[in-house]
Amino acid sequence: MINLQNVTFTYENADTASGLSDVSLCIPDGQAILLCGESGCGKTTLTRLINGLIPHYYAGKLSGEVLVQGEAVSNLALHQLAQTVGSVFQNPRSQFFNVDTTSELAFACENMGLPPAEIRERIQNTAQAIHLHALLDRDIFALSGGQKQKIACGSVSTLEPLIYVLDEPSSNLDHASIRDLRAMIAHWKAQGRTVVIAEHRLHYLYGIVDRVCYLQDGRLTHDMAADDFFSLSAEARQRMGLRTLSIEALLEQGVPSPTVPGLAPYRLDRFDFAYPHCPKALDIPLLHLPAESIVAITGLNGAGKTTFARCLCGLEKRCAGVICRDGTCQRCRDRNRSCFMVMQDINHQLFTESVLDEVLLSMDQEDVPAAEQILDSLDLLMVKDAHPMSLSGGQKQRVAIATAIASNRTLIVLDEPTSGLDYRHMQQVASLLQSLAQKGRTLLVITHDPELIVSCCTHVMPMEGGRATDPYPLDKAGLTRMISFFTAIGT
Amino acid sequence: MGFAAFSSNHQSLYRLDPRTKILLTVLVGIVMMGGSIHGPSAIPRALLALAPFGLLLAERKYRQGLLYLFVLLLSVGVESYLVTRTQGALNLILVIVSSLFTRFVPGLMMGYYLVSTTRISELIAALEKMHMPRQIVIPFAVMMRFFPTVIEENNAVREAMRMRGLRLSGGNVSAYLEYMLIPMMMCTVKIGEELSAAALTRGLGRPGARTSLCDIKLRGLDALLITISLLAFALWIVL
Repeated sequence: MINLQNVTFTYENADTASGLSDVSLCIPDGQAILLCGESGCGKTTLTRLINGLIPHYYAGKLSGEVLVQGEAVSNLALHQLAQTVGSVFQNPRSQFFNVDTTSELAFACENMGLPPAEIRERIQNTAQAIHLHALLDRDIFALSGGQKQKIACGSVSTLEPLIYVLDEPSSNLDHASIRDLRAMIAHWKAQGRTVVIAEHRLHYLYGIVDRVCYLQDGRLTHDMAADDFFSLSAEARQRMGLRTLSIEALLEQGVPSPTVPGLAPYRLDRFDFAYPHCPKALDIPLLHLPAESIVAITGLNGAGKTTFARCLCGLEKRCAGVICRDGTCQRCRDRNRSCFMVMQDINHQLFTESVLDEVLLSMDQEDVPAAEQILDSLDLLMVKDAHPMSLSGGQKQRVAIATAIASNRTLIVLDEPTSGLDYRHMQQVASLLQSLAQKGRTLLVITHDPELIVSCCTHVMPMEGGRATDPYPLDKAGLTRMISFFTAIGT
Repeated sequence: MGFAAFSSNHQSLYRLDPRTKILLTVLVGIVMMGGSIHGPSAIPRALLALAPFGLLLAERKYRQGLLYLFVLLLSVGVESYLVTRTQGALNLILVIVSSLFTRFVPGLMMGYYLVSTTRISELIAALEKMHMPRQIVIPFAVMMRFFPTVIEENNAVREAMRMRGLRLSGGNVSAYLEYMLIPMMMCTVKIGEELSAAALTRGLGRPGARTSLCDIKLRGLDALLITISLLAFALWIVL
């Protein structure tokens, strides 16, 4: 049983995550509960109160009482709580301590001083229960995001805690990995454990959570049964700033009828690529990309989406592919000047001390008025002198897109621009992409997010095993086809 | 240099105890620093200088092993032959480069061998068997965990820089370094913070004995290597 009584919390250096005010919540044993709400609503803070990272790791002002299994969290040390509460976090790259998988699965048990024979047995049991055998004894750095997240779940599972706390576990996963995550949560629930999940992506939790809590500005405003929550109307959930409750519901939303300008497409020739000692990661003899449109690139992890984008942008020098349009052709090394890629981790892509400098750096000729105009169009003018690293996640992403615009390149690739974004920020990205396409840019969006595709894309290009065919337009038939891809392997 | 050897799917002929590896690394580091390539002290030095070569071969790291041997022989050759036959600035450069190489490269290679063939959990277990205090063991383990992370982050930042058209040319070395280091530091700090939080919720801070899945034991081969290297060390001190 988890019991929060009139909990108020403010972070010491309140910059990104926001606190909670006067939250009372009681979670009985064996319940699966979803915490949702817009970015900054306090759902992550709530998970940290349960796993003890607040007050033991993140400093701030705390009042009220948090009881886990009848004991005050503030009186327990983190290692004592570790036996009761297991935590899975958002970022698959930063939650493993070892570099090989088996050691990671053993890690928590070793810390607790369990005898080696028992640890071995527990690893076997966990591997059996959540199908980890293929991942044992592997280099964690060589795993995909979804596989890493599976190991993270497994390493928590070996300690057999009574309570599982998950903070946006699906943010970086494709829909096949999300299905595995769902199975994992179902397994814990079947064992009678309590599961607390803070999430933006909601559809995969249908039929698995018992109760949904909605937070707004640090307050718990709705506390409802899962059945009531998942039957909310589309308007109601959009007003609450929440992502879609089911992928199928996107079918009814319809698509903005794509106006296909009768432009000559880009012609891509001989895009193939193999990493050393590996089979071909990319194998596309011929492909046509519609110009001035927004093409969604879909496919599971390992389908070659990122490799394709890297070859397109000239990051893989050994790719012989050529892009032609209007009689001009570009080989790999020329494409650095015409293609731009906004990578998934925004923090790697911001280099300067102010937002304005960041945009100027991308221009061939520094032009302050033009840079300010770009910032204005992205709603960033008021933070032009701020340090890019001090901005919120959504703002950072817009700065990265601003640099793409300033670079004056015509083909822009975005890798997962909406991972971990709430409804409002996702819509913001969608309308931004639309306005870019209207200004004559061609956009390629690698994404696992069907809601984003429905909101802005004009074409869909499925990829599988390094192969791709010409993108199909996202009309009525295209919409059905796209949705069925996401539901076939999804929930 | 790949760190893929962190995983256990590579086949090594022998598994050495991490304690043996640490001892060898320390001894090679110390012995190669002092002494000369002439006279009697050259014998124990030569013996220890060949240790990384043999160990790398035993781990089937043939390319690294042979490259090391080549660099070592080349710099020894330069130090003993060319240095006495050149003059002026060239002589100065040769003296500095060759003596730096003969003194530091063996220790560095031992370090590489240690890091690339030892799992973090093995290292923790070995250090705890040596009764090292927690305040040394944990930072050491975190450092090992961070090598591959820093490489990964560095690659990502460099690609982002290429995408933005930021290249190293002529006068902008300091600006280039700044562009490279700022996101690197930001990202590693963030990863470090999240990593600590995750490790703490998995009970890393618990006082009292830890157990380990790794079977850390000094075996015959360890004893042999330790004896030989200690003998060489003693010889080097006496001579």
